Amino acid sequence: MRLEKCWFCSSTIYPGHGIQFVRNDAKIFRFCRSKCHKNFKMKRNPRKVKWTKAYRRLHGKDMTQDSTFELERKRNRPERYDRNVAENTLKAIKKIDKIRVAREARHHSMRMKGKKAIEQQAAAKELEQSIHLVKAPAALQEDPSLTLPKIRVTVSRSQTEDAWKNNDNAGNPLTWWHRKLNSTLSYARLVY
Amino acid sequence: MVQYNFKKITVVPSGKDFIDIILSRTQRQTPTVVHKGYAISRLRKFYMRKVKFTQQNFHEKLTAIIDEFPRLDDIHPFYGDLLHVLYNKDHYKLALGQINTARNIIGKIAKDYVKLLKYGDSLYRCKCLKVAALGRMCTVIKRIGPSLAYLEQIRQHMARLPSIDPNTRTILICGYPNVGKSSFINKITRADVDVQPYAFTTKSLFVGHTDYKYLRYQVIDTPGILDRPFEDRNIIEMCSITALAHIRAAVLFFLDISGSCGYSIAQQAALFHSIKALFMNKPLIIVCNKIDLQPLEGLSDDDIKLVMEMKAEASQTVIAQGDEPNDESVFLTMSALTDDGVIAVKNAACERLLNQRVEMKMKSKKINDCLNRFHVAIPKPRDTRERPPCIPQAVLEARAKANVEKEKRKLEKDLENENGGAGVYSANLRKHYILANDEWKEDIMPEILDGHNVYDFVDPDILQRLEELEGEEEGFQLEAEAEEKYFEIDGKELTPEELEALAEIRKKKSLLIQEHRMKKSTAESRPVLPRKFDKDRKFTSERMGRQLSALGLDPTAATNRARCRSVSRRGQKRERSLAREGEDGDAMDIDGEQSSKKLRTRSRSRSKSRSKSQPPGEVTPGEGFRNSSQKLKALKIAKKSVKIRNKTARRGEADRVIPNLKPKHLFSGKRSIGKTSRR
Repeated sequence: MRLEKCWFCSSTIYPGHGIQFVRNDAKIFRFCRSKCHKNFKMKRNPRKVKWTKAYRRLHGKDMTQDSTFELERKRNRPERYDRNVAENTLKAIKKIDKIRVAREARHHSMRMKGKKAIEQQAAAKELEQSIHLVKAPAALQEDPSLTLPKIRVTVSRSQTEDAWKNNDNAGNPLTWWHRKLNSTLSYARLVY
Repeated sequence: MVQYNFKKITVVPSGKDFIDIILSRTQRQTPTVVHKGYAISRLRKFYMRKVKFTQQNFHEKLTAIIDEFPRLDDIHPFYGDLLHVLYNKDHYKLALGQINTARNIIGKIAKDYVKLLKYGDSLYRCKCLKVAALGRMCTVIKRIGPSLAYLEQIRQHMARLPSIDPNTRTILICGYPNVGKSSFINKITRADVDVQPYAFTTKSLFVGHTDYKYLRYQVIDTPGILDRPFEDRNIIEMCSITALAHIRAAVLFFLDISGSCGYSIAQQAALFHSIKALFMNKPLIIVCNKIDLQPLEGLSDDDIKLVMEMKAEASQTVIAQGDEPNDESVFLTMSALTDDGVIAVKNAACERLLNQRVEMKMKSKKINDCLNRFHVAIPKPRDTRERPPCIPQAVLEARAKANVEKEKRKLEKDLENENGGAGVYSANLRKHYILANDEWKEDIMPEILDGHNVYDFVDPDILQRLEELEGEEEGFQLEAEAEEKYFEIDGKELTPEELEALAEIRKKKSLLIQEHRMKKSTAESRPVLPRKFDKDRKFTSERMGRQLSALGLDPTAATNRARCRSVSRRGQKRERSLAREGEDGDAMDIDGEQSSKKLRTRSRSRSKSRSKSQPPGEVTPGEGFRNSSQKLKALKIAKKSVKIRNKTARRGEADRVIPNLKPKHLFSGKRSIGKTSRR
């Protein structure tokens, strides 16, 4: 029993999964699920489909050349069984896995190295260019710092007091947003 | 040796068919188009060609028939006589003669008419001559129609005759009807002859083949013969008589001792004596059949005497051949039912025949030529010493040991049988494995680990490679750490207020995009309310004021201006107080101004299209209103009825409407032509 690789996305195909397609020239295509199979039937090139391993390797998103890959090689000649060799192999597989994962993480971090700087630059630029959406240029001239202006609401004094007084007497049940509005009004700064 | 196979004779068509075939061929294979304007020589040639062509075809076909049917004098007398017996020689010859005459007549007709055609002077005359010629030829064929039918019948029957080779080794079986001849042939050959309890089941000759001493023998089964004078015999009996007469074969005369065939031994003996003339120079064997019903010893004395007489006759033929009389080869008993003695009879017959034929060959002159071709070479012995075959001692020992081993070795099969048989015991295939250490034979090695195939990693020096790998890895790690130290993060962090502002900017941008998307999609499909009817109050001056102040600007000037310029205040003087808005909703001016609502709803275009000289309430005589107040009321009702619909931008009477969005006839049912892969 062997674990094969999907021809389209290069993921492992476990027993009981997927479909194998044999072409007239005797080339075998194995697929891990119908998604890959259907993509193949549509004649899509896996090197152009973003989520496949082929694309990722081709465009440098994933590690391509590494010594860990050379340890895993399909051997066509069967070896005579040796218990010690088998034991060592099993232990080695685990260690190799760990190393490979670490290397891939390193590769990823190398890829992402300059990201923060670029992001910060982009943020600064956006701030500079689009500040007019939240603060009028006139206001900016007055106050060059980038703090946001607050909303000013004009409320007449009499109305608030009457409203408070009439609340309980009227007997109308106050909904929660009524109460919230009232409370914010009372905290709002009165202008003019 | 010529194989007499009459199956290859071509079919003889009937008279009518014959004519049809030839005439249609003439029509197809000669030119058909001719006009009276052609040159006379061309016309003559055209019609002469047709006549000649027809004559040639008739000649060909009739010749073929005459040649293919066998001439009774030229073939083996056996077949000649057989055909005579079956079909009557004279009739046969007559039929063929008629065909020959017909052929000649047709030739003459053609010659005459061609001569006449040479002097034909018009198309019509030539055509008539051609028609006459063809007609006469066809009449000739019509007249020989019965002969053709007769020949066709003969051909069909001849094709079904058994292919008997008169020159090869043959065994003939004869005797009274129902004595067991067909059963015997069924036993020794693969022939499947009908065996029934009534007499004359076999009505014609049947051939089977059997082998003896690597040679093939023909066995011919004949119909039964009755004891009658020669002239009285019917066709069926004549078949067997012919066979007896002409074929040089061993004869087995069958005798039914039990009498269950319906004829006594005396009758059978009488038959024997009457046809014994036919047994000249043929090895004869008397065979007593059906001994299961009546053993030989149980016969009465008279019968035994008759039988002995026959045996004596048979022996005489043997003596005539020059062999010593052997009881067993002349007189045999068997039972076809119980297979008792059948093979013995066959062997005896074959042996006798073979000996006789070899004798004949030896006596003839041809044998000397054959003998000259044989020569067995024997090396001359050098001296009288014995030289047996030489086998080395080691080989002899090995042979002996192998024999012993074969007996001693315990086979897997024995083991299986000991441990419960085939279904219970399953052989341990691992016990013959060749490994470095025998303890490992029962080890199970995993094939898959953590999503990898273990066999892909197996390597005798995997540990060493792993160590190298780990060394590499450490190196990489150190490098990475070193790099990180030197890697400085750019210190351009944003302050929290800047972050807040950035978040606001992004929120606003996403809102704008969302709104644009909504607007884009609804522009064509859903009707949009015009701004003056906005029930969500999106376009109020308060809102404008709020948004401006959110941007940090002072909204007062803008809101004042907006209120000044609003439609409801068109025509009003600027001195009106701005603070009066919203709370006292029923503040409607009564001094001559039109209400704000009226101003809003009044259409501007209408005021342009109608001349101003007539006020709206004035009633013109033909309209049907009593007075102006009624008209005003009517106008008011009309406006009220469409008010809500307009405000909510609903579909009106003038808007196009599809009453049934999914009509049944388009979404169901089969199409008379075409596909319904989409609806």
